[in-house]
Amino acid sequence: MATGFAHKRLSLPQGISIVKADDLKEWQMDIKVLDENPLYMNKTFRLKFTFSDRYPIANPGFTYSEPPEVQFIQVPDNSDTPRPIPMHPHIYSNGIICLDLLGRSGWSPVQTAESVCMSIQSMLTANTKDERPPGDKEFITHNRRRIRDINFVYEDDDV
Amino acid sequence: MEQSFELADSTDWIDTPLNLLGPLESSLRCQICKDFFTSPVITSCCHTFCSLCIRRCLSSDHKCPVCRQADQELKLRRNWTVEELLENFKKARPSVLGLARKEAARIKNGGDDSSEPSPKKRKVNHLDEPEPPAALSPRRVRTRSRGAKVQADPTHGQEEIEESDVAIEPEVIEDSQDEDYSDDGLVPCPICNRRVRQDTINTHLDTCLAGDSPKPPPVKSSTAFGYRHPQGSELKKLERLPAINYSLFKEHALRKKMRDLGISDAGPKPLLQRRHTEWMNLWNANCDSKNPKSKSQLARELDTWERTQGGNAVPSAPERNPVTSKDFNAAQWSANHNDEFKLLIANARKKSDAQVRSTIPRVSESSNAAAEIPSPTVPSPHFGTPAADQNDSTPSG
Repeated sequence: MATGFAHKRLSLPQGISIVKADDLKEWQMDIKVLDENPLYMNKTFRLKFTFSDRYPIANPGFTYSEPPEVQFIQVPDNSDTPRPIPMHPHIYSNGIICLDLLGRSGWSPVQTAESVCMSIQSMLTANTKDERPPGDKEFITHNRRRIRDINFVYEDDDV
Repeated sequence: MEQSFELADSTDWIDTPLNLLGPLESSLRCQICKDFFTSPVITSCCHTFCSLCIRRCLSSDHKCPVCRQADQELKLRRNWTVEELLENFKKARPSVLGLARKEAARIKNGGDDSSEPSPKKRKVNHLDEPEPPAALSPRRVRTRSRGAKVQADPTHGQEEIEESDVAIEPEVIEDSQDEDYSDDGLVPCPICNRRVRQDTINTHLDTCLAGDSPKPPPVKSSTAFGYRHPQGSELKKLERLPAINYSLFKEHALRKKMRDLGISDAGPKPLLQRRHTEWMNLWNANCDSKNPKSKSQLARELDTWERTQGGNAVPSAPERNPVTSKDFNAAQWSANHNDEFKLLIANARKKSDAQVRSTIPRVSESSNAAAEIPSPTVPSPHFGTPAADQNDSTPSG
């Protein structure tokens, strides 16, 4: 269980900082987009990692290792540290991210909180569309499933 | 920065003047388990992992976790250089880290020590020196003292020369041991590869073959010869287990196979398969080990697996279906999901069967996960776990 913990104290890449990593249940990280993408300039976003009891060992019958749940969380604008949900065609307005590396099929045990943050950073950097995924409203009103149970269809190879 | 963990970690170096050793240490760690490599092996895509880690990955995924290139366990090869590197690093680590921490503490206290050269040294580290000055290693110190001896001139007293002789002594003996390696009267045991005195090899073999060898410390540790010399020819004796195609095995045949291997044959077939796979991985990884464990030791490891991930594992909380649990509160459940139920009923009324069908293609053509929502059925348990549950998911029973 100490495996992921090792990364807590690592010197992190630019634009990534730890907000909270006191236990092995939930971590929060702040990320910034480093280049001058007008969509995300001067904004900081907060990612939440939720690790299951079994992390990093997968449930029997699935693949060998299990991904944590990763999503953006919002901190209201009027707080000291406002953290909006970034605008992106694969990020729902409730913070849920549609990214294959976060799903069971795309996850690999060599990924770390750090590498996930960097992947998401680059996913934001590359984006030029100021929009939400299709069906965002419907999804956020009705989704009650845990992230791990959602069956995303990854069809967009551009991001 | 808590030091309550006694675990070695690459971040131990961060706050010391030798912080560039952090990345060095990281690269001596397996990317899967994040620990130092245990019996490192290299894949056909040239990535190195612990033997057991990569075997477990490949047996479930069949691809390299780093580059996702397809690979097979058969193609894994031991990576002796990494193992040797690691063994020597591990030996040096405590003393180097100790020194580095001492230095860090000294700097923190304002460097008020009287010793002059240290601040200079620190500056060099901060600039661009990738490696710490070798003065930190004891060996170098000895080399110097040897140099001093060579230059010793008659003005120095006899005693001083003797002193430096004493300092050199251990190193010289070490070197000569390296060269006289094969003459040390020890022979490698073909089973466990430990080096044993020739006259005791037979009794040692008996215990080894019995499967429960005592664990004498390896007589000779890692010289370059130690790795290559005995291993190559002798390791054939530890035969690897072949992967088997479970779909070709009838259940009773698989059970028999497992009994023959000496492992439990209890449980349904999927469990048998997983147990056999785990045993195969443990066994084959052990074949890659420099100091292979006894079969009974492996059996204990399989037992640990059985308790944590195998048949005796307690199902984790998220797997529990709240609807079927004994203390299921129907009223609470329907109150929580009232909105959903209403929506589902409304949807069901609105849509004919044909319309329902037409929603299905939409699921696959959009990346929108929400498309599943309007399915007009009573919520199945995996569908309706309330979002609130994920925060306080305590095991219910």
